[in-house]
Amino acid sequence: MKNRGQNVFIATFLGPPLLLYAVFVLLPAVNAFRYSLTRWDGLGPATWVGLANFRAIVASGSEFLPAIGHNLFLTFVPGVGILSLALFFAYSIHQRIRGGRLYRVAFFFPNVISGVAVALLWVLIYSTSDVGLLNGLLKLMGHKQPIPFTESGRLLWAIVPMSIWSATGFFMVLFLAAMENIPETYYEAAKLDGASSAVQFRTITLPLMWDVLTTGIVFLVVGGLKFFDAIYVMENGRPSGSTHTMSTLMYSKVFQEYNVGYGTAISVMLFLLVLAATAASLRLMRRERLEY
Amino acid sequence: MARHGGPGSGASLSARVASGARWLFLTAYLVAVVFPMCWVFYTSAKTTQQIYKSPFGLPKVVTSPSRANAEPLVRNYRKAWTGSHFGQYFVNSLIVVSVSLVGVVLLGSMAAYVLARFEFRGRNVAYSLFLCGLLIPMQLVLIPLFFQFSDMGEGLTRLLGPPARALGLGNLTISLHDSHAGLILIYIAFSLAFTVFTLTSFFRTLPGELREAAMIDGAGEYRIFFSVMMPLGKPGIVTIAIFNFLGLWNEYLFGLVFLSSDKLKTLPLGLASISMQAQYKSDFGLLFAALVISMAPTILVYIILQEKLTRGITVGALKG
Repeated sequence: MKNRGQNVFIATFLGPPLLLYAVFVLLPAVNAFRYSLTRWDGLGPATWVGLANFRAIVASGSEFLPAIGHNLFLTFVPGVGILSLALFFAYSIHQRIRGGRLYRVAFFFPNVISGVAVALLWVLIYSTSDVGLLNGLLKLMGHKQPIPFTESGRLLWAIVPMSIWSATGFFMVLFLAAMENIPETYYEAAKLDGASSAVQFRTITLPLMWDVLTTGIVFLVVGGLKFFDAIYVMENGRPSGSTHTMSTLMYSKVFQEYNVGYGTAISVMLFLLVLAATAASLRLMRRERLEY
Repeated sequence: MARHGGPGSGASLSARVASGARWLFLTAYLVAVVFPMCWVFYTSAKTTQQIYKSPFGLPKVVTSPSRANAEPLVRNYRKAWTGSHFGQYFVNSLIVVSVSLVGVVLLGSMAAYVLARFEFRGRNVAYSLFLCGLLIPMQLVLIPLFFQFSDMGEGLTRLLGPPARALGLGNLTISLHDSHAGLILIYIAFSLAFTVFTLTSFFRTLPGELREAAMIDGAGEYRIFFSVMMPLGKPGIVTIAIFNFLGLWNEYLFGLVFLSSDKLKTLPLGLASISMQAQYKSDFGLLFAALVISMAPTILVYIILQEKLTRGITVGALKG
């Protein structure tokens, strides 16, 4: 009797969330694979085309391959800056420099602002009109012509400082937490041996926070693969071939060109890449794990 | 005692230079992070002409505060709030995010509690299904969900239409497209994976004796959950609520796909559409005010709750 009551309890507590999650996440995720094997304009009947969409997106001259390239650019170019700055800031704060708390609180700030607001803020910073902060500074330094930083040809580079500005704080907090978790005794032993701060960082800090560093890299890569907001907003909703990322290409294929099967095939590829990146880093993590 | 890095004067000088250079770099970065933000805030108090004339200068209301000099500030915000519907967008964001937040916290902690605290058949399957969600990008579910929504709306209409007519409620048509209800359901469902994952490991850390003690006192499972476990789980629940708040308040792509009428738009959608429309491109006062309205709530939450937020990242990272 008691057991039956418990089963009812479990069903009423687990049922509704699981049902909602299954209908709105799992079911469409499975359906995506089905959609990607069809040609469909979203209204009429869909035609089964097998792997034709996948063949088309990887064929030479497709827009998909450059789009992946843009995703990789937006992952790794700012990524190197984000990781090295975050490590440097975290290590500095970890060493109890003066004002450490202020730096920690302030550097995280941009992370709570929406991608759209960050994009608009940087549109204003880069603006070629008199309001533009950066062109204003260049003018003060004697540069006459304003530079159109956000035109299609330059946009990916213009996003690099923006990404660093908005993401570094998050990774700094992540890494700082890992550093605070390393027992102080290791550093004391190293100091007795006369190891410099840089040597301590390389031989103690970095190896012992390897797992968190790998987690950080996963976050960075997955975020880069999904990149959407800033490109879409800065290109006024119509990115060009030289700025499309996988997500913006998917969006414009489905909702602007009504090529649903092709667009869904892009989202399936995106999912597979996210999966591959996560799996690769989990393997890396297991192999390099250090016990302490 | 001639160790490397010892107390020799040369080493201490170079150490001092190094720490000076580091201080300089950190401070420069601090300015680079904080200044653009301050710039947005104070520029929203200037007229477009003043912005053109001196783009970096402080507004008059700061340099010589007076009622007349506060005029541009009032005008910019009034124009953004009513003229450009940012008041409406703000209310929409508030409705969508708060209802989603209550839903995801309630449903998420219910599922997590059961998964963490009970042994039953199918538990591992259910937990693994939620875990899968951590790897599913929203881009994958977006398109099928969009088309599935039409069918679901029709299905619901067919299901609920006849009884509604019988009850004299008139013709009922339910559409999940372009409605807050539809977006809220998506937000809750999509936030569940991360919420359940985090809260399950949190509920596992709570002492089990309390539940037994409450049972001896004659409390039922429901009572135990709502009056013992939920209060005990508050630290974890608050952290997860902050994360979900930030994520949902800033969410753009789902909103872009599922909401089309202007009166339903959330703040990121409203901000994106005025930043993309040429007619606003020259009204900088308005643009800056709109930006402040969109950023202020999350900044405020961060200022108030930053300790909890950064501790949440810490715990999540070290466990995950």
